[in-house]
Amino acid sequence: MLRWIVWRDLMLAWRRRADMLSTVFFFVIVVSLFPLGIGPETQLLRTIAPGVVWVAALLASMLSLGRLFANDYQDGTLEQLLLTPQPLFLVVLGKTFAHWIVAELPLVLIAPLVGVQFDLSRETLWILFLSLLVGTPVLSLIGSVGAALTLGLRGGGVLISLLVLPLYIPALIFGAGAVEASVMGTSPSAHLSLLGAFAIVSLLFSPWATAAALRISLE
Amino acid sequence: MNWPDLSMGGYGFYVWGSYIASLIFFVWEVVSLRQRKQKTEPSAVAPGKSSSTGAAIEVDPALPRTVL
Amino acid sequence: MNLYKYASPAMFYPLAGKLIPWFAIPAALLFATGLFVGFFIAPTDFQQGDAYRIIFIHVPAAWMGMFLYVLMAIYAGIGWAFNARLSSMMASSLAITGAMFTAISLITGAFWGKPTWGTWWVWDARMTSTLILLFLYIGFISLQAAIDDARRADRAGAVLALVGVINVPIIYFSVQWWNTLHQGATIRLLQKPTIRGSMLAALLIMLAACWLYSVAVVLIRLRCIILEREQNASRFAEVGV
Repeated sequence: MLRWIVWRDLMLAWRRRADMLSTVFFFVIVVSLFPLGIGPETQLLRTIAPGVVWVAALLASMLSLGRLFANDYQDGTLEQLLLTPQPLFLVVLGKTFAHWIVAELPLVLIAPLVGVQFDLSRETLWILFLSLLVGTPVLSLIGSVGAALTLGLRGGGVLISLLVLPLYIPALIFGAGAVEASVMGTSPSAHLSLLGAFAIVSLLFSPWATAAALRISLE
Repeated sequence: MNWPDLSMGGYGFYVWGSYIASLIFFVWEVVSLRQRKQKTEPSAVAPGKSSSTGAAIEVDPALPRTVL
Repeated sequence: MNLYKYASPAMFYPLAGKLIPWFAIPAALLFATGLFVGFFIAPTDFQQGDAYRIIFIHVPAAWMGMFLYVLMAIYAGIGWAFNARLSSMMASSLAITGAMFTAISLITGAFWGKPTWGTWWVWDARMTSTLILLFLYIGFISLQAAIDDARRADRAGAVLALVGVINVPIIYFSVQWWNTLHQGATIRLLQKPTIRGSMLAALLIMLAACWLYSVAVVLIRLRCIILEREQNASRFAEVGV
């Protein structure tokens, strides 16, 4: 069942490739705006890079969250999924995983390229990639709770942002912190471990909260 | 008991500023609650005024009831 | 005496009405007493001069902001788990007062920071966590405002509040870590005055005053919410609102 949901969502997303690409482009543009706004001085850019890339990833994630359940909600598929005998936890897990592959993984892959704009060392670019690899699942998982709560409401993306951004802050602190540690030459392992811990904890609890939220939004 | 130095040792702006800011919040909350009360009470109380008989209220059965 | 009848909004409404003066008047008295003790009896602090007197409003407001958030989450959770309407209404009522106290603590904190730390805003663990708490409140209030159906709003708010309350320790821990890492020469540690007898007394009196004030204000708002939501119920006719 899990595999089926993931495959289905991936196929549907593939048919609307433009959505996926637009998220990536948004990420790249936002990151590129910061040097333009702040100045090209490399030392300064190296300092702000971790925060800038991570915040841009947060914002890009949030933009894509609306798509997680909205399309299925609109055509009635979501209601059917709620009625299946399979646990809703699995359905949510599958959809969130597919969402991560489609919306977050491209960001993770392109982040090192974008990091080059900030004159980061190869070591740091690797840590940047790792931190996003471990951290973006947290963004998808926590974001899914917000997406489920705001299903069908007016206010759309802004409302999801209000709900979800405060909850993203720990991931931001440790994700950007890991990259920053690397920039400064210290070890990022503590940050990455904690980020990993967050990922595991949200993997265990978020789908449950999202499932509850879905039932609330759909009755 | 000692009379406080009103200028708060030079920090008067900060001390009085905080308390005035807080006071503004408290007053805002009470005033907006009062307005909310005035808006909701008349419309709910009026139909029930003659409720001593228990049968005076007319509830249109077609109206959506806030159920449970 | 059957207390369970008060779980019904219609029955609780008149009870709340009777309770309010019992909280509002003592609150006003305690505010007056607390400020009197704080300004007329507590001595000037050795380190901070008279600027420290801001704590008499700053600290109670911060505590109320945090306490009310937890309380809100508990009521929302009970309302969701037991399908208790009144409980959920209580949560909605608590949100605005809690947000207000959090805002007061941020603003008074800034006013306190300027003379003692030199800047209006410092990213220390407590202030940053309080700011995030304000965001959590705003999220809860916005979500409930965006949902038209009352029961869906109650339950959705409950999920959000519970997720939030579990995250609060995580957020605080993260922010504290972040703050200790970034402690540079520009950020000085908060110097708390050594709390002595009369200062402590004033602080506790003000805390009690804020608590009583919160109860009164939340009950008033609760009554408004009950009216707004139960307007079409003929039950009100029998209670004789």
